[in-house]
Amino acid sequence: MFRKILIANRGEITVRIIKACQEMGISTVAVYSEVDRKSLHVQMADEAVCIGPAPAIESYLNIERIIQTAHQMKAEAIHPGYGFLAENADFAKKCEQENIIFIGPNSKALRLVGDKIRSRKTMEKAGILIIPGMKSLPKDITKFKKEAQRIGYPVMIKASAGGGGKGMRVVYEEKELKPSLEAGMREAKSAFGDESVYLEKFLEEPRHVEFQVLADNQGNIVHLFERECSIQRRHQKIVEETPSPALEPALRAKMGETAKKVIEVSGYNNAGTVEFLLDKEKNFYFLEVNARLQVEHPVTELTTGVDLVHQQISIASGAKLSFKQEALLQKGHSIECRIYAEDPRNNFLPSSGKVLFLKESTGPGVRHDGGIYSGCEVPIYYDPILAKLIVWAENRELARQRMVHALEDYVILGIKTTIGFLKDVISHPQYKAGNTTTGFIKRHLDQWEGKKMTEKNLEVALIASAFDGLNSLQPRKGEESLAKEMFSPWQSLGKWRIGGK
Amino acid sequence: MDFEFLIDNKLHKISLEKKEDCFVFSDGEKTQEVNIQSISAHVISVLIEGHSYQVYWAKDKERRYLFLEGEEIVVQEPTTSQEGIEKREEKSREDELIVRAPMPGKVIKINVSENERVRKNQTLAIVEAMKMENELKSTVDGYVKKIHISPGELVDSEKPLIELGLKD
Repeated sequence: MFRKILIANRGEITVRIIKACQEMGISTVAVYSEVDRKSLHVQMADEAVCIGPAPAIESYLNIERIIQTAHQMKAEAIHPGYGFLAENADFAKKCEQENIIFIGPNSKALRLVGDKIRSRKTMEKAGILIIPGMKSLPKDITKFKKEAQRIGYPVMIKASAGGGGKGMRVVYEEKELKPSLEAGMREAKSAFGDESVYLEKFLEEPRHVEFQVLADNQGNIVHLFERECSIQRRHQKIVEETPSPALEPALRAKMGETAKKVIEVSGYNNAGTVEFLLDKEKNFYFLEVNARLQVEHPVTELTTGVDLVHQQISIASGAKLSFKQEALLQKGHSIECRIYAEDPRNNFLPSSGKVLFLKESTGPGVRHDGGIYSGCEVPIYYDPILAKLIVWAENRELARQRMVHALEDYVILGIKTTIGFLKDVISHPQYKAGNTTTGFIKRHLDQWEGKKMTEKNLEVALIASAFDGLNSLQPRKGEESLAKEMFSPWQSLGKWRIGGK
Repeated sequence: MDFEFLIDNKLHKISLEKKEDCFVFSDGEKTQEVNIQSISAHVISVLIEGHSYQVYWAKDKERRYLFLEGEEIVVQEPTTSQEGIEKREEKSREDELIVRAPMPGKVIKINVSENERVRKNQTLAIVEAMKMENELKSTVDGYVKKIHISPGELVDSEKPLIELGLKD
């Protein structure tokens, strides 16, 4: 097992990985950009090194600097988290060359699944159903126009190096195609350093169902069942759950086996996720492999009892999987809500600033994976995810109710967050009924404004504000007693010790 | 003591007086006794007619952020009187002609040039923040009076980026 791991990331996922390392007796090195000195991951790690200025390209994406830091700090392995360098095959390759273990798939498999076009071709050859669309990356607009006409509008523009919804655009008619391609390419370039995009048929209102897979270096592969992640805004997931309300045991088993086959034909090892789109007729199409630890991994952990970060580290160290497919069972139901620093009343625009106060939800079956604390600053430079709230209960309806209350009990003051919006998603009768598709938010919660404030709450808010107003006129109790203490004889005695000389 | 607070741009005039163990609250229409306790630096407990409210709060300059019954409420202290509010409304009409970034970010592209005619909702510029592109759209039918930015520039949410003029 490793003695020391460097974590090339920030935020909640780095905190999550540090906790796993602590439990496994592995010491941790955090890296941070100049604006992240006070971040939670820096405070929690055993060692921390500043790797450059705020823009990610100069810090968290700086391959040379991160490798050099790993050597300098004598870290044997690097965990890339998600985002940043997590799915960068050049980085994985560089680690291999430098004798540092990359906690993730081998660079060859990473290159294959990271290349959406090549993986589409590979899967089609292996007899796995893919979404109709391009199997090459043209630069010429007329080729895009032709393909769009062939598969029919609406079409989806996707970044070849993509993930997290970046660079993705839905195009409904030909006149939107050119500006959408331009915007998609710019976004792809900025997010991944690669502007290549391609077209796929846009399936209307599918469900997004993905399978968690673990593969050790000896070729053993298991799947840990599905996660349904259909609730999305801007093509990015905000609510995930498992089991999916849409899967019957037979379909689940079939999709699980397909996921394992995808991993096998890709020569993939470590933890990965195979994403599928499930249409209304319950056909499932291979979408892509997410070659990393997923944001939504905790729902799988809570229902299978397997710690995925422990598994990642253990597999990377060369250990064999300690369990077989038959030993894995889904127990109960788990839901995750992603808490973003965004304004749901204003098109989910990111909201940076200072978290003046934080109170996490607690209680039976409630888990909070966070990267924030009272007083922390949320910088503008990175993904606006603040934390994840995850619940587990015996069945879906109990988990749903538990989540509603956990969201009600979750306080973040000072910046705008998605908490209130998520509460309305989870409380929605269509969510309750399990009718979750990727069009859910647009269909049910478009132009969301939240509930109107009740008279009583307004009154209490005024009373509390006035109460604070009254208090702040006089010196506060704390300050008063501190002032008294300053002149107390105990203070003027100077340094002394009981029994001292 | 009298207080004025702004909530959702609406002015509320109230009073709160200490009376023995309790407080007396009045909003001009009704007066009632309330029991208020400071629990910790960020928690106030309010009892009204036996109803218990746990209020989380934090203050940043003239803004108080409150959270109660699962709801967030921002309470502002008005800097001036009612007149000020009317002025502010007037100003916000002028403000409509000034395009600002919705949040700090980097200017990616400017789609218009000075003196160009623009339609309402036409994209004027693109600003990127947190790896997301935001299109700045025209709020009016009019023309571009002045452009204060250039591509690549980092901007905050205060700075006027583009000034618009109304069609005459």
